[in-house]
Order: sequence, then structure tokens, then C-alpha cells
Amino acid sequence: MRNPLVKRIPKELASDWHKYLVIVIFMVLMIGVISGMYVGHDSMIAAINRGREELKIEDGSFELSERASEELLEAISSGEKADVRQYFIDKGISEADKEVAKAVEDELQKQVRTTIEDAVREQCAAYGITDEQMIQEQIDSAMEAQYDNALKEARNSEEFKEAVEDAYEEAHNAVIEEVDEKWNDIEDQYGLNDGDFHPVQITIYEDFYHNASEDNDNDGIEDATVRIFRKDSEINGASFIDGRAPESESEIAIDRMHADNVGVKIGDTITVDGRKFEIVGLLSYVHYLTLHENNTDLMFDAFGFDVAMLTGEAFDDLPSRLHYNYSYMYDVKPADKIEKADCADNLLKSLITQTLVYDNEIDDFLPEYLRQASNFAPTDLESDSAGTSIMCYILIAVIAFIFAITISNTIEKEASVIGTLRASGYSREELTVHYMSMPLIVTIAGAVIGNILGYTAFRKMAIYLYYNSYSMPECGIEWSPVALVKTTIIPLLLMFFINLFIIARKLQLSPLKFLRHDLAKNRRSKARRIPAWSFLRRFRIRILFQNMPNYAVLIFGVIFIELMLCFAFGLPDSLNHYGDRAADMVFADYQYMLMRYKDEDGNIIETSEPTAERFSSTSLLYPKTRSSVIDGMGSGGDESVTVYGIADDSTYVDIPGDLASGNVYVSSAFVSKFGLKNGDVITLHEEYENKSYEFTVAGITDYDGGIAVFMNNGSFAEVFDKKADGFSGYFSRNEITDIDAQDIAVVITTKDITKITNQLMHSMGGFMDIFKYTMVVLAAALIYLLAKIIIERNEHSISMVKILGFKNSEIGSLYITPTAVIVTVFSVISFVVGYFLMIWIFQAVMMQMDGYFAFYMTPVSMVLSVVYLLIGYAFVSVIDFIRIKKIPMDVALKNVE
Amino acid sequence: METDFLKISDLKKSFGTGEARQEVLRGMDFTVRKGEFCVLLGPSGSGKSTLLNIIGGIDTPDSGYISINGDKLEDMDEKQLTIYRRKHLGYVFQMYNLIPNLNVKENIEVGAYLSDKPLDVEEVLTTLGLQDHKYKYPNQLSGGQQQRVSIGRAVVKNPDILMCDEPTGALDYKTSKEILALIEDCNARYGTTVIMVTHNEAIKNMADHVVKLRDGVVRHNDINHNKIPASELDW
Ligand SMILES: Nc1ncnc2c1ncn2[C@@H]1O[C@H](COP(=O)(O)OP(=O)(O)O)[C@@H](O)[C@H]1O
Ligand SMILES: [Mg+2]
Repeated sequence: MRNPLVKRIPKELASDWHKYLVIVIFMVLMIGVISGMYVGHDSMIAAINRGREELKIEDGSFELSERASEELLEAISSGEKADVRQYFIDKGISEADKEVAKAVEDELQKQVRTTIEDAVREQCAAYGITDEQMIQEQIDSAMEAQYDNALKEARNSEEFKEAVEDAYEEAHNAVIEEVDEKWNDIEDQYGLNDGDFHPVQITIYEDFYHNASEDNDNDGIEDATVRIFRKDSEINGASFIDGRAPESESEIAIDRMHADNVGVKIGDTITVDGRKFEIVGLLSYVHYLTLHENNTDLMFDAFGFDVAMLTGEAFDDLPSRLHYNYSYMYDVKPADKIEKADCADNLLKSLITQTLVYDNEIDDFLPEYLRQASNFAPTDLESDSAGTSIMCYILIAVIAFIFAITISNTIEKEASVIGTLRASGYSREELTVHYMSMPLIVTIAGAVIGNILGYTAFRKMAIYLYYNSYSMPECGIEWSPVALVKTTIIPLLLMFFINLFIIARKLQLSPLKFLRHDLAKNRRSKARRIPAWSFLRRFRIRILFQNMPNYAVLIFGVIFIELMLCFAFGLPDSLNHYGDRAADMVFADYQYMLMRYKDEDGNIIETSEPTAERFSSTSLLYPKTRSSVIDGMGSGGDESVTVYGIADDSTYVDIPGDLASGNVYVSSAFVSKFGLKNGDVITLHEEYENKSYEFTVAGITDYDGGIAVFMNNGSFAEVFDKKADGFSGYFSRNEITDIDAQDIAVVITTKDITKITNQLMHSMGGFMDIFKYTMVVLAAALIYLLAKIIIERNEHSISMVKILGFKNSEIGSLYITPTAVIVTVFSVISFVVGYFLMIWIFQAVMMQMDGYFAFYMTPVSMVLSVVYLLIGYAFVSVIDFIRIKKIPMDVALKNVE
Repeated sequence: METDFLKISDLKKSFGTGEARQEVLRGMDFTVRKGEFCVLLGPSGSGKSTLLNIIGGIDTPDSGYISINGDKLEDMDEKQLTIYRRKHLGYVFQMYNLIPNLNVKENIEVGAYLSDKPLDVEEVLTTLGLQDHKYKYPNQLSGGQQQRVSIGRAVVKNPDILMCDEPTGALDYKTSKEILALIEDCNARYGTTVIMVTHNEAIKNMADHVVKLRDGVVRHNDINHNKIPASELDW
């Protein structure tokens, strides 16, 4: 015979269906969203990895300032270091030889001339010729007649040969000595003599590109920078989400995300470098999953940056500067990140030395594992899902506690029945199973429906969200075991154990105690002294004390909701705040970074713009010792710090002119992120060289646009051993028009900052709104459940006070007021807790990335995040009041215990 | 009547400590024979329920023992006690303690489930006159009807001993007599040993065996030779 208690379960479900519905919806949403995120995420990752395989993503790339010769490419491919010492010696000697040869020749000729002249003068003196003009004539004719022979004779003399040899030897020795001295420095500088160097063989591919101007509405104003690759590139392919590759010179395929953002589509015409192209395809380049223009960019920018594909002919025809970018593949694939770092290290040594000896220059070097544009998206996906699954567990725990509390209330209510059943011979286990079944059934139902939705609707939503931010390839459905474990198995276990713990503990009591309603662990609450307030007030306080555990869960829930609301309100606020303060994020309205400070003819690049001011800059790294996570993105763990040399009496950056060498000002963002203060000593080191610098913080400059350090131009030249007239670019109030575009590396304007925030708002704005309202609904649902429990628990006494003659409004105030007070007080307290928790979380997240971005909430949002919760509660109160009104008086009379 | 079936020997029980210490049972001895209708009689607070609970294995004595068919309860652990109750006992309390969201029939099935040799549920429903109400829920029944269901839940197990703690305490005169008649009927029909706690002197007349308690000891332990049917009781 089946346990007849089982029959209670469908009845329980039916009679309290709205409560269980709320819980199931709750769970379905959470589990569905999270498994959708996971499945979407896994499908995305699978698609990305397939793309990396099929489209042949590089292992890294380097850009040279000039096209590499065959020999250089061959040399780099071998992975061997060049013999820089020999190179310098050879170069020194050949220069020295030229000088020596010239000096010797000059000296010889001078001597021969003198010899001839002296001989003529002697003869003239003997002939008594004193007229200087005649002597000169004689000398000239003698020179003509004898010079060549005399020179030849002199050259052949042993004496001369000896002298020449000595001169060469001396010169060579000097060169070697000098090179040796210099060599030590260089060895040091590049760490070239590391014992564990081993050559890393690579295959090199040309992956040249143009950075062209893009005008996507053909109004003659540049809208974006587009990085253009050739269609026939053998590496770093693209997958087409729509359309096809360009076939003719007038066709172009551009990034899907960018097209989406700026609102162009297949068939539209855009202007690139002044030429018109028809868009025939929307693509996703395997190495540009996010449109990061530079690897150091804080954020990708799918508005202002684009990647595109042209046919070879159209590509070659573009007027903008060609970037000699070479991609490589390791012949032997490194297995993990450590090996990758090691390979990159060794390769860089080969690259530095080989380009040096082949008279080329490295403009950029970027191993793929540090490439933001290809790694940001997968990493971001990872952190997204980690965050949401933690949220899920907290929520499941909240639900589990709601269940546990509901059940322990039920157990209390049914104490006599339980006592009777136990007295009749029902075992503890049977009753435990009985009371456990409800939460488990609801959890399983939630999990099953949630999973189904996760693989369908929510997966689509997740993928849609990713598509909104990233230039992803198309993806299929991927079965995700992680999702199953995290969304289904762990919540079930959590539900199971939390409930088991609480129910088993409750049922531990003896049957007699149940029969006598003697369930409280301590009866102190009964004895609690309450001041001689009015009756209603004392009553209320009693209710408060009696429902302590319920209120505890309520408070826990409210804190959780406030944290989420802070996030939902704070993130867009922070972005807007960042955008609003765009002016504080740049030094000047225009900041021009130059390719070099002298043009091809060796003239210093000048401008007639009166507000222009020179600055120097370089990039160093600051170790993130405060963070235990060292495999972050960007510079591969260390924070990238821009060091500026500022003109004396600068109009753009406010630092004292008499700043001592070694003393620096730091940006406010630097201070905020790493908690620096005046007098601190910071150690910065070079990225590609084993060289570090120590600076003392002498002050703080109000600049939130990046992690930066400021010193005087003079100190800058001295510290970094630069020429005194050298500089890196111009700050300017107005646009500078008289500098050749070829010489400009980057222009940064306030518009760029706004672009970043626009990008983020575009990617996340819609999501945040949904999130915000979901949180309000969640808050209301949570409060609904808990308030329901509180009223259910007091059903009997509510019925009793009704019989005694209390009006519904009085009863309402008795049972609703304490909850209202608790919810109001704790929504404010929880807001404060949530707010500071969010600041802390933000700080921790920032530590894993480059740059700085502070958490910010407008006062309005602060108020709203509390008000929203209270609005949710207000609805619940109305429902509560109706519920109280509905409690019949006979509850207290019928089925008395 | 068979020989000693249930033996209560020098049972002692007290509650509280120090000043508040109260000796409720101060050494009780008596035996109950199989199939007997035994009434425990005594004023309120005399320890009747405490005694019944100890017999039922849901409370423990401070000293003394209870044996049933020669098995001592004190030798049993928690699990064995549960099995003991499950196999041998049926409980009826003054409060009906029915499961509110199960109907009459289902409430009785809850008892039947526990037994290896349950009676037919339909038959019990008929016997208790609940056939017309079997799909009703407890809150749709009168007190007397609820108590019938409660008796049905205990009787359907076909227990060796039916334990009743003031089963008529909350009922009116007429209904009380109906309930007592039902219990009597079970005793006669199924040969169930009945131990019934009551403070109502009149009820002793329907019993085979009357144990009077006062101040924690057995004052009278009488066999009633001229018992009368419940329907003829009067108080
Ligand atoms: N768990 C307990 N704790 C303290 N005192 C108790 C407990 N159970 C019963 N008593 C006391 O023991 C006495 C007898 O109780 P009880 O057996 O219920 O009496 P009866 O059923 O005869 O009315 C009463 O005075 C009661 O106060
Ligand atoms: Mg009693």
C-alpha cells in the first residue's frame, strides 16, 4: 500500500498553487536564465574555438616600420638570435675603416703634395726665383707631372704600409672596445644572455593592413577608423554571418557588429579613404571578436572602429599608410599559457636582434594569448556566467530557506497531527520524506522547465546579448554538462540539504512534545519583558519576536535584492558618469600621438596651431601585487601605466614646474585603483626590457582617463635617456590641420570617450533595464512569499482576534506594520550594504583588467533603488491585507488543537 | 479472558527539578489482560495521561517497567518503540488531530497503511457510520464525527491495544455515548484490548477492569463483574 500521506501533496499544491507558482516561476527564471547563459556561452565558445581552428588564427603578430626583406623573414622564422655584437663590430669597423682609409689617403696626399711643393721651392730658391706667382706655377706643373707617380711610390713604401696597418689596428681595437662596452648594456637591456633561451621556429605570414577613414553615411565626415585586410590573406580568416566576400574592386565586407551599431547593411555604400564601396558581406574576423583598435584600449569600440575585407586590387590601391603587420604560427604549438609566454619571450629576443641587424624596427609585438580583440569576449563570457551562477546559488538558498521556513511553520501548525502519527507508529524517516517531498518536487519542476527553456528561449536570449556586444561567428546548440551541474544538480542538492537539515532537526523532537505543542527550543520569547506600551503596540512587538526567523530570511533576501538593484542602477550610472566627465578623461580637446617627432627629412614636426603644446610619453608596467589574479587580460597581468613628460608651465596638465627628478604626479585614477598616497614609492618597469624605474609620488593630478604618471619634460628626457628636443605628440585646444597624416599615430578627443560609453550602453543598456525590472519583480515575489508565511503562521491568532472583535484595519496594522517597518528600515540598511559591496566588487573586477572605472550611483538612483523595492512591497501589502480579510473566523474554532 | 498481557510494575515518574519537582507517578502496579476493556479513572492532573503515554512508549518512566507479552519497553530503542507502536497500538486523543487536507477515508487510510493486518477501510467506515461522509474534509464535520474518524484511524490498524485518552472529553452527552459504544463494539468485535483514560466516574460501569488513580498511586484495582453496555450509561 502506498503511503496515504502522498495524497496530501497534490492537494497542498492545489490549495496553495499561487505560492508554489511564484516559487516555480522564480526557479524557472533563475535556472532558465543561468542555463541559457551557460548553454549560450558553451555554444559560443565552441563556435569560437571552431573558428580559431578553421579560420586559422595566428599565434601572434608583429608590425615592422618597413617591409621586411626575405633575409630578415627567414632569420626571424628560424627563431635564432642575431649576433648583435658582431653586427655592431662589423658596422663599427666598416665605418672606422672608411674613416681610417680616408684619413690615411688624405694624409698621404697631403704628404706627397708637401714633398713635391718643398722640392720645387727648394729648386726655385736655388735658381733665385722669388716671385710667388712663378713659384706657384712651377709647383702646379710639377704636381701635374710627378704627383701620380710620387703617390704610387709613396703608397708602395714599406713605411707607409706599416703606418696604415697600425692605424687600422688601432681603429679596430677602439671599435671592439666600444662595442664590448655597449654590448654589456644591450645584453642586459634585452636579457639576451638568458641561459635558457631556445629558438622558437615560426612560419610567418603577411597580414598587412590599412587603417583607413570610414564615412558610413557619405557626408564627407569621418565616422570611424576601419582596419582593412586583404581577402587573400592566408591567415586570420573571417566567417560570414551574412552575404559574401568582395569579388570586385568596388565591393567591401565589413564587421557585422559595427554595421549593426552604425546602422548600415548589405547593399549600402560607404566611403573608405575617399573611395566608395558597396557592402556585400557582414563578417566576423577570427582575431577581432571584439573591436579593440589597440590592445591597450579599456574597451572595444564597435562604433568608432571597424574591420573590413577588400580584394587585393582595391587593397593595394588605398592611399592610407600600409602597416607591415606580420602574423606567425609556431611550428610547435605551445601547450599552455606558461609555454606560450615562454615562446613569446624567446621569439621577441630573436625579433629584437634580427630586426636590429637588418636595419628594421619593431612597431608592435603581440602574442595572441594577450590579444584583447580575440580573448576579451571568451574571458568576458566566462566572468559573466561565474557571476550569474553565484547569484543563482544565493537565490536558490533564499528559496530553500523560504521552503524550510514554510515547512517548519507547517510542522508547527500540524504539531498535534504529527504527534498523533508518531504515536500511532509513523517513523521519523517517513515523516521527513513526506515533508521533504514538496520542496523537492517544486525544485525538480523548476529545474526541468528551467532547463528546457535554457536550451531554447533563454539560450537565444543569451546569444542575442552576446551578439549585441561581440562580433561572434554563428553558433549551434552545444550540450553543456557544466550547465546541468550548476543549474540543476547543485540547486537540487542545496535544496535537499538545507531542507533536510531543518526538517530533520524539527522532527527530532519526541511525539509527546508534538502532542503538547512544546516545539520551541527555548521558551524565552514568552518571558520577554515588554515596556508598558499600548496594547496594540505590545501585541505588535510580540508578533515581531515570534516571527524572528522569518524576518531574518526576509532581511537576507532584501540585502540580496538591494545588491542587485545597486548593480542594475549603478552600472548604467557609472557609464553615464564616465561619459559625462569625458572632459576629465582627456588632457586636451585634441591629443595627437605622433609616429615620430622628426619627419622623413629630419625636420622636427611643427604646427602653427597656437594652443598646441608638446608632450612626451612612454608606456611602462606597474605590478598588480594587490591582486592574486595574475592571468588577467591586457598586459598579461601587470597594469599598463602611461608616463608623461609635460612641458613647463603646461596649460593642460597641472604639475609644478620645479618637480625634482624622480618625483612624479600620479593620475587620480591611479590613486583610486591602487590606493596610492603622497610619498609612496612606485616601481615601474619596461614591458620588453629588464629595466625598472622608481618614482616618488609627490602629488595627484585630477585625471580619471587612465593610469598615468606625470613628470617634467626635462626629467623625462633624463630618466628615459631621450633627446632633449624629442617629444611624442601635441596637446591642443583646436584641431591641428598642418601635420601630415602619415606622421600621426592616434588622435584622442573627448568624442572617443563618449564613444566608449556609447558602446557599453549599447551592449548592456537593454539588458540592464530588463535586469532592473526583474529585480523589482523578484523583490516583490520574495517579500510576497515571506509575508505570506508570516500571516499563515498567525492565521489562528488572526482568526481569534477577529472573534474578539478587532476590525480588519486594526488586524492589518497589527500584522502588516511590523513587516512594513522591517522592510523599510532594512531596505535602507541593505542599500548601504549593497552599495559598498558593489564598490568593493567593482574594485576587485578592475584589478583584473587594465585601466580604471569607478562605481558610481546618482542620488536619484540611490533613492530609486530603495523606492522600487518599497513599491514592490506596497503591492504585497495590499495582497496581504486582502489575505487577512479573507481569513475566516472559524479557523480558530474548527479543528481546534 | 487471558492471562497477563500487559504488566505495569512499580512505575515512577516525576517532572521538574528542585522546588518545582512534582512526583506524578509514585510506584504503580497493575496488569491488563488480553482483550480486556480497562478504564483508568482519576481526577484531572492525577497522571492518567502520563501513565498512558508511558504505556504507549511515547514517554519514559523514571523507574519501574512495562512489559507487553513479556517484552520490556525499556529495552527497546527509538526504532523498536516506533515499530512497537506501529504493530500493537492504536491511539485516540481528546483532540481529534486529523489531517486537515485529507478527507475522511484518506485519514483512515493513514492508519491502515501502518498495519500488516489492517481491517477493510470500507467496513470500518460503515461500522463508524461515516459512509455518507467519507469524502468530506475534517473541517466539514462535527466534533463527534471527527472523533469517529479518529477512532477509525486507530481501529483500522486492527491493533492489539487501543489507547484512548479522554476520547469524549470535548463531546456532549449523547455523542459521547455513541463514541463509547463504538469503542465497546471494537473491543467486542475484534477482541482489541482497550485502555481508556477518563475522569468520568460513570464510564467505569462499561469496563471489565477499573483502575482508580489518586496522588500517583493505584487506589483501587477492581474487576467489574456486572458491566453494562455503553448505551445504558447515564451521567
Ligand atoms: N511534560 C510535562 N512537564 C511538566 N509537568 C507535566 C508534564 N506532563 C504532565 N505534567 C504534570 O503532571 C501532572 C499530570 O498530568 P497528566 O498526566 O496530563 O494528568 P491527567 O491526564 O490525569 O489530567 C499534571 O500536574 C501536569 O502538570
Ligand atoms: Mg489527561
